[in-house]
Amino acid sequence: MELFRLEHKKLWRKTSVRVCVLLCFAYVVLFGGFLSYQWFEFGSSNDVTSAFGNRFDGWTEIRASQAQAARYGGLLTDESFRQMVSDLQQYDAAGMESGLGRSERTLLNGWLSQLYPELEEQDRGLYSVLMAYYVDTSQLTDFYARRDAVLEDFLHSQGQWTGPEGELLRGMDAQVEKPFRYQWISGWQKVLGDALPDLGIVMALFLAIILSPTFAGEWRNNTAPLLLTTDGGWRRLALAKILSGLTFAAELFALLAIGGVTAQLIFLGTSGWDMPVQTMKLLAVAPWNMLQAEIYEYGFTLLGVIGYAGVVLLLSALVKSNVLALLLSLAAVYGPVVAAQYLPMGAQKALELLPLVGSASDIFRTNTFHLFGKYIWSPYLLITVPFLIGVVCVPFAILKWSRRQKA
Amino acid sequence: MELSFDRLTKHYGSKIAVDRVSAALTPGVYGLLGANGAGKTTLMRMLCAILESTSGEVFFNGEEVTGMGAAYRNVLGYLPQDFGYYPHYTAEEFLAYIATLKGIPRGTAQSRIRELLGTVGLSGAAKKKLRTFSGGMKQRVGIAQALLNDPKVLILDEPTAGLDPKERVHLRNLLADYAGDRIVILSTHIVSDVEAIADQVFVMKNGQFILRGTVPELVRQAGGKVWELTVPREQARFWQEEVTVANFRHEGDNVVLRIISDQRPSELAVTCKATMEDLYLYHFGGEA
Repeated sequence: MELFRLEHKKLWRKTSVRVCVLLCFAYVVLFGGFLSYQWFEFGSSNDVTSAFGNRFDGWTEIRASQAQAARYGGLLTDESFRQMVSDLQQYDAAGMESGLGRSERTLLNGWLSQLYPELEEQDRGLYSVLMAYYVDTSQLTDFYARRDAVLEDFLHSQGQWTGPEGELLRGMDAQVEKPFRYQWISGWQKVLGDALPDLGIVMALFLAIILSPTFAGEWRNNTAPLLLTTDGGWRRLALAKILSGLTFAAELFALLAIGGVTAQLIFLGTSGWDMPVQTMKLLAVAPWNMLQAEIYEYGFTLLGVIGYAGVVLLLSALVKSNVLALLLSLAAVYGPVVAAQYLPMGAQKALELLPLVGSASDIFRTNTFHLFGKYIWSPYLLITVPFLIGVVCVPFAILKWSRRQKA
Repeated sequence: MELSFDRLTKHYGSKIAVDRVSAALTPGVYGLLGANGAGKTTLMRMLCAILESTSGEVFFNGEEVTGMGAAYRNVLGYLPQDFGYYPHYTAEEFLAYIATLKGIPRGTAQSRIRELLGTVGLSGAAKKKLRTFSGGMKQRVGIAQALLNDPKVLILDEPTAGLDPKERVHLRNLLADYAGDRIVILSTHIVSDVEAIADQVFVMKNGQFILRGTVPELVRQAGGKVWELTVPREQARFWQEEVTVANFRHEGDNVVLRIISDQRPSELAVTCKATMEDLYLYHFGGEA
């Protein structure tokens, strides 16, 4: 325990580690969180050429947007949907920029083009105009029947409608409560669609820099001869190093998660936590609400980060060079991400099981894995397998380092 | 207490680093003297059981040390050559870290660390980061870490490297004082260090012990091989190229040369009293 404490302290004492943590925190929490809410993403538009041209009024704008969404009664029905589109058209006609900005026009337009494609007018002049601006609202009926039909078409096109896979997906969708609860969605879209799915891949860069010297750095420091003559030395030390590496990964995650959730609570509050994820992605089949999805995405990132830390520690134990350990660690996550696009679907799916290579946003998709005759919804494997890979790496890292030390 | 090794050998491919060396060491200070590449570090690493020998074994009190594992490491203190450290640690933190690795309880370690920092003259720098230390200060930290567990066998590889003359004298006194009923082995190519404190000296060349004995015994072996010759200044270069010259000093227009040679180098040369340095030069004159 004392050795673990000292190893952990040693890790945090490095200037490079502190700089990395600071940069990571600044990027994820300050820029991706506070400034993004207040300025880049939700500040009212002033200069449309750049997000930096937004006004610094995100907090006020979010409240106004949430109040505007609350006018529709908290449920997404045909009537409330029609009303949303109708209000949008009136803001447009009146040239009321503030109302338009607070309307979820991109989202509304997505629903319209997916559920009412026949209403789209192809010839709207030189510039395409969002359907939401011109569609005849009286024709916006049967929202849920149309959504079910589109989902059926989609599953057919993917070959997922029939058989046990179809049964699994349809069974999940059957549990989705309708009509959907509705509050302001854009804030949740930022959290669940943009920020959280990218968190792991950002952390990977910093974890690689911080953890890759864990074992390899001992060669650079030339401490091996010294460590080997200590009582019980290498094995206990290797375990302490691994535990401190994994703990550090969890701490970095906690730091970012606490910062992220704090920013979220300050700017978005808790409004809309019980909306189904289908309000974000109509064709999602998971019977989950926003809060459940957020818990999953944080869990996915935490387990992925720990899994990745295990891989980095193993790579660090395998080589004697800090630079090589760093390059291999980066290649372990960014290599598959880049390579996946050139590989067949089966190989892509397999690569996604590597730590931080897959995406937490699979909860909005209908991907499955077919294992031992059973179909498993992909998010279940994407959250467990990367963690297990990291766990499996741990004994190998200890063993490999111990052997290297003796050589 | 006895540390012994029997026909200890280490090959690196076709190169023989240590070649069938044997000895039995009882409490005392042992100096391992030899030029760079003589095999001193390899031998010491095998004595510490951190390098496997190609053949031969090391025993502590009759028990083979690799089989003893932690029991041997408990009685061992080691200062490696090019001692590695963590630059962002303070001296105190570094010693606490090594103390934990050595299994010393925290409370005991803290008082021991304070004591050792005082012993090596670093009390005032205890809270300074190691990266700010001079070479000599780092070396002293290295010596302190080797003494943390109050080892019965203390192996120091080039402990005086990087130390200034005052620090070297201090270290020599410290080791002489510390030795008592312990086995202390130190390697060096600084002859005066072993001359000052070693009870026994092993001279290593090409992986073998070419000489062993007490300092007076070894010095006696150099007897009759050390000469003084006074020559005109312009002849000094000639003599330096022809024979091993240990020293020369100017006396008016002449130069007095101290020559190491089996034969009288000149009719004018007179014998003089040998030292360990002369012996060293006799064996390593061409390479040291």
